[in-house]
Amino acid sequence: MCETSFPLNDLFRRRLQTGLVVACLTLSVASTLFLLLYSSRVGVGFATINENILTIGLTLIFAQFIGFVTILVFVVGAVLVSFTALLMMTQRTRDFGLIKATGCPNDLLFGYYVTELIIVTVLGCTLGVVLGFGADYALSSLSGFQLYHTPPNFWYTPAVFAVFFILALIFGTKPIGDALKLSPLTALSTVQYFGLAATGKAKPFTKSNLTAKIALRSLFRRKTATVRIILLLSVVFVLLTVSVSGSIIAKETTTSWIQDASGQSVIAVANESLAAQYKSLLSAFTGTSVNEGFNYSDPELAVPDSVIQQLQALSGIITVDERLILKEHVLETGNFTYTPNSSLTTYVGDEHEGDFVVVGVDPAHLSTSWDTQGRFLRGMDESNVVVGEWMSQRFFEQPLVESLRIEGKQFIVVGVCVDPIENGRVIYAPLQRLENATGINSPNLILLRIDPSADRAQTIAQISTVVSKTGSNLLAFSLDETVQNNVNFLSSTWSTVMLLPIFTLTSAALCLVAYVMLAIEEQRQEFGFLRAMGAKPRTVTGIVAIQSVIVLLSSLGFGLSLGTITTLLILMQHPLVTALTIAEIATWLLAALAAMFLLSLVPALRLARTPLLKIMT
Amino acid sequence: MAEVGEVAVSMRALGKTYVMGDVKIEVLKDVNLNLLSGEFVAVCGASGAGKTTLLNMISGIDKPTSGSVRVFADDLSDLSEDELSDFRCHKIGFVFQSYNLVSTLTVAENIAFPMEWARKPASEIEKRVATLLDSLGIRHRQNHFPAQLSGGEQQRVALARALANDPLLVLADEPTGNLDSVNAVKIIDILAMLKAEKKTVIVSTHDERIVQLADRTFCMENGTLASSHV
Repeated sequence: MCETSFPLNDLFRRRLQTGLVVACLTLSVASTLFLLLYSSRVGVGFATINENILTIGLTLIFAQFIGFVTILVFVVGAVLVSFTALLMMTQRTRDFGLIKATGCPNDLLFGYYVTELIIVTVLGCTLGVVLGFGADYALSSLSGFQLYHTPPNFWYTPAVFAVFFILALIFGTKPIGDALKLSPLTALSTVQYFGLAATGKAKPFTKSNLTAKIALRSLFRRKTATVRIILLLSVVFVLLTVSVSGSIIAKETTTSWIQDASGQSVIAVANESLAAQYKSLLSAFTGTSVNEGFNYSDPELAVPDSVIQQLQALSGIITVDERLILKEHVLETGNFTYTPNSSLTTYVGDEHEGDFVVVGVDPAHLSTSWDTQGRFLRGMDESNVVVGEWMSQRFFEQPLVESLRIEGKQFIVVGVCVDPIENGRVIYAPLQRLENATGINSPNLILLRIDPSADRAQTIAQISTVVSKTGSNLLAFSLDETVQNNVNFLSSTWSTVMLLPIFTLTSAALCLVAYVMLAIEEQRQEFGFLRAMGAKPRTVTGIVAIQSVIVLLSSLGFGLSLGTITTLLILMQHPLVTALTIAEIATWLLAALAAMFLLSLVPALRLARTPLLKIMT
Repeated sequence: MAEVGEVAVSMRALGKTYVMGDVKIEVLKDVNLNLLSGEFVAVCGASGAGKTTLLNMISGIDKPTSGSVRVFADDLSDLSEDELSDFRCHKIGFVFQSYNLVSTLTVAENIAFPMEWARKPASEIEKRVATLLDSLGIRHRQNHFPAQLSGGEQQRVALARALANDPLLVLADEPTGNLDSVNAVKIIDILAMLKAEKKTVIVSTHDERIVQLADRTFCMENGTLASSHV
């Protein structure tokens, strides 16, 4: 036996099994690498949370999701690699016995199989790196969003390669070591093959459902492998539930936050230049840069009272929302707070200061709404403000017990809202109080909510007529395109999160196929003799199908429950779940389950087409 | 139940060639044979003479390259895979040299499962299993798994399984080949019992005691029927 060619020959001899192991490894490495590269591009990598992309509140949700999905993908990858390495080596146990029986020393035998393991691992990890990078490159090339075009972090490559290489070696070397400790006779026994356990004590005779019994008992006899595949698929289903249901729920919820805060079907009226600036403030959410030097205080931007009165007189408008957008120097004002647990009164606040967009609104006439922690402004509020999430995270220590000063006037923070304006670097203040503080007495932006029962086109035409009659640079414009762009961005990002585990799912499906193939291999002769005794090909396929269903359903039960609990209780606060959302989630999960089940039947269907004599021998 | 004396198995110009790469191995060559219902036939010959292939052709496990096999009313070349399964389940009882019991089923369950496929009622299955366990002397082993039995006991279970659906034809491929003489005698006794019951039995064997039991003996040599003795 040539020492160098034996491992290669052995791998080629088991071409299909070698291919499956390499494919599983490749997909595990690729999925993990792709996930790390993708999350770093979106700005929610493990090292930093980049507040320049998405509002900080959404970034935190993304970070939580991607963090959790990454952990799960890594766990799946680790279990998957350990499982495939274990399968690859346990199925060689009988060969160990044969080679040992011919007098091959243990160290040489160990060398042969470790070499095989190293070849397969290096090949799988290298292909995984190429595929992971390729997928990331394809995403960044195909995506129209600016933030995907940042360079990837190359350091993830050696890290992922090393971790998976080591995992495969550790888990693959163990069964080799275990097999080496066996005597040749024990290694040759079928009991040692594929982790089989000898059937236990006598069982009373049952005279029905023997086909199902063959399936069940074979499954339980392969205890080690069955437990591992159920464990693997359970984690895969947790991952699938979290990423699919989480992404769908999060997409629905965050989309509704952004649509409500920006205004749906709202027509805005403002000076041309402010209109462009306001759109870019809303678009900062998707990474678009904002003109920092814009002069919001320019008297030219004011919307005249006469125009407002004409707009209020229009029949199809239900809300005329007057707003004053300014850039103001803001100072954080700390406060004392009582902590019941420690019975201590402590001072919070670091006296931060900076220039921020301040939007004056009339709480009694709002055309938009916000997802708010605390509360939004009310009609009687005079000296209260609501701050965006970036402010709450980066400017204040505990915003809801602190205050801020604008133009020397004190405002108490009563709420924190999710808002796309400058990615949450925004403060909402009562219009009257802001006008008093700044001395600017006219709003510069009017948001008009159109009565849904009115003729929308006609109402917009009336608004345009009022605006054009002023002869100034005033413009009536729709925010729909900007809002839609934000929604598309959210949709695209969540869809990518949802599809992140696709590699993992594929590799798990391949692993299930490998498991079924090996289970069939172990039962192959028995299946042949069952056929010789009169079993139809579909009876044998049925035995394999029963085994697949048991493995898949037990994994699904565990994975679905844990995944749902994780999504609703940990990852997503105030989830928006409708019947349609549930139907969408159910469709995805059922499709994945059905695909995995059908794929697991492929080896059994191949067996059904194999001539009986070939199966028996 | 077939009438004693009618043709049970008819082979015409039967040939089987296996192709392995560029090499063609002719295992059966122009075999012509008629076996009658109720006959006990022994097929002997050296290893590789084609005995097992002949039994595989009769049971529909393997398909001939040329010629035809007719078993009772069925021309096997006309049957689909599912029909062949039904044919084996209802008409054939096959005993292998290496027993080939289902390792995950108990002795009683191994005997019962061909009856389940034949859709026999549970009460009938239970009764038939009990009868076979008693007549083959393995009642005390009914709840044990194959791995817990001796070779002789496993072969008796295999015989009981072959007889479960009361087949028209019993095929046994070297049934005593893996057994010591004490256990072989028990199997030969069962075969003698089948002969007494006028079952149609074809046994491939090297065992002189089975040859002596046979109504007719055929010797195979290089894939052809070399001689026959009555």
